[in-house]
Amino acid sequence: MYVLASFEYSEYLELAISELELKGIKRERILAVPLGKKTEKAKIFDTISQSDGISLIDSALILGTVFMVLGVIYGYVLKWGPIIWGLIGLIAGAVLGFIIDIIPKKKGQNNKKKVKNKTTEVVILVHCDTNQVDEVENTLMSNFALGIGRLDKRE
Amino acid sequence: MVSIQNTTQSIRNQRRPKGYISSIATNFIHKRNPWVTAWWSCTFPGFGHISLGSYAKGFLLITWELIINVHAKINLAIIYSFTGRFELAKHALDKRWALLYAGVFVYAVFDSYRSTVDLNKFSILADREHSPIIPMKISTLEINYFDKRNPWVAEAWSILMPGAGHLYTHRLPTGFVVLVWYIMISYFSHSLECVHYSALGAFKQAIAVTDPQWMLFLPSLFGFVMYDVYVNTVEYNKLFEIEQAKFLVDNYQDPVFEMPL
Repeated sequence: MYVLASFEYSEYLELAISELELKGIKRERILAVPLGKKTEKAKIFDTISQSDGISLIDSALILGTVFMVLGVIYGYVLKWGPIIWGLIGLIAGAVLGFIIDIIPKKKGQNNKKKVKNKTTEVVILVHCDTNQVDEVENTLMSNFALGIGRLDKRE
Repeated sequence: MVSIQNTTQSIRNQRRPKGYISSIATNFIHKRNPWVTAWWSCTFPGFGHISLGSYAKGFLLITWELIINVHAKINLAIIYSFTGRFELAKHALDKRWALLYAGVFVYAVFDSYRSTVDLNKFSILADREHSPIIPMKISTLEINYFDKRNPWVAEAWSILMPGAGHLYTHRLPTGFVVLVWYIMISYFSHSLECVHYSALGAFKQAIAVTDPQWMLFLPSLFGFVMYDVYVNTVEYNKLFEIEQAKFLVDNYQDPVFEMPL
């Protein structure tokens, strides 16, 4: 009997596996396959085309800082003072930077679905006896497995 | 993230390590845009280096910059120049100190750009080498472990109290310096009094109470802190995944395992 489960990368994954080992399932009967989400060519410079979340914040913060500096400077001669103009500058710059980053992405990657749900990152196979299946499933379930399945080994 | 295959023992033996975990920080290299690092050095010489993990150089440059900037009144001159009060700008600059600034500034920008380009190459090599890292370090005074953290939570803390975000992501040297620095700037610039008066609408008083020389440090500080915290959190999350994936591949893919069917 095989129990399959999918997990996110987290400490719970390690807790689940170690609990299984404690319950007597030997290490050679547990198979873990980490999934790579996408293949990446190793680019030396370009962070801008990687959609890993960091590139979205680069422009926003840089423009935010620029406008915040300008806001503080001009706040000294304008009525509201440096703090308020500084904040206005920060928000305006950040929004501008965000828009500058988002527009090319939206145009170019319409087919890419945004997965907001938790994504499977590791698949675990446990080869166990039929009477152990329930225990194994409970262990995996209580450690936040994303999904669990059974497979009967056909001889 | 590249798909993980079962790698044989690395022949390069930590020649290009990915990182080093100590109890107060995990210092590691990852790919970044060198122009962005150069930019942060523009806002404040030394910040680019701190972002890279080059703390020693970064703190040196920051101290150096601070001393020169405050004595030469560079920030004040910047404010006067941008608002067209050029005579005031000329009078504000202290000629004994002003020229020292050029060297610090240009060097910091150049060096952070160059370091980023180099470290990018090493980070690619490190990723290919798959050198092991122990994901936890306990010492007498502190405990550090890899973990997945929420970048937006880190951002929020950084906005409320610069330095707290770095403590959340467990980068204590940066967190400590940023915190001390933020308190110093707030105090000398009277920025918090300005906040009070601005909130009450007493704008003339708000402007009068501040010291512009110190105020202009605030945008650079906030901008950098917010950027650094976000980047660190995202990259630490990736590091956690890579390390755990390698652990699983090395230990839970026994060739003896009987495949089903």
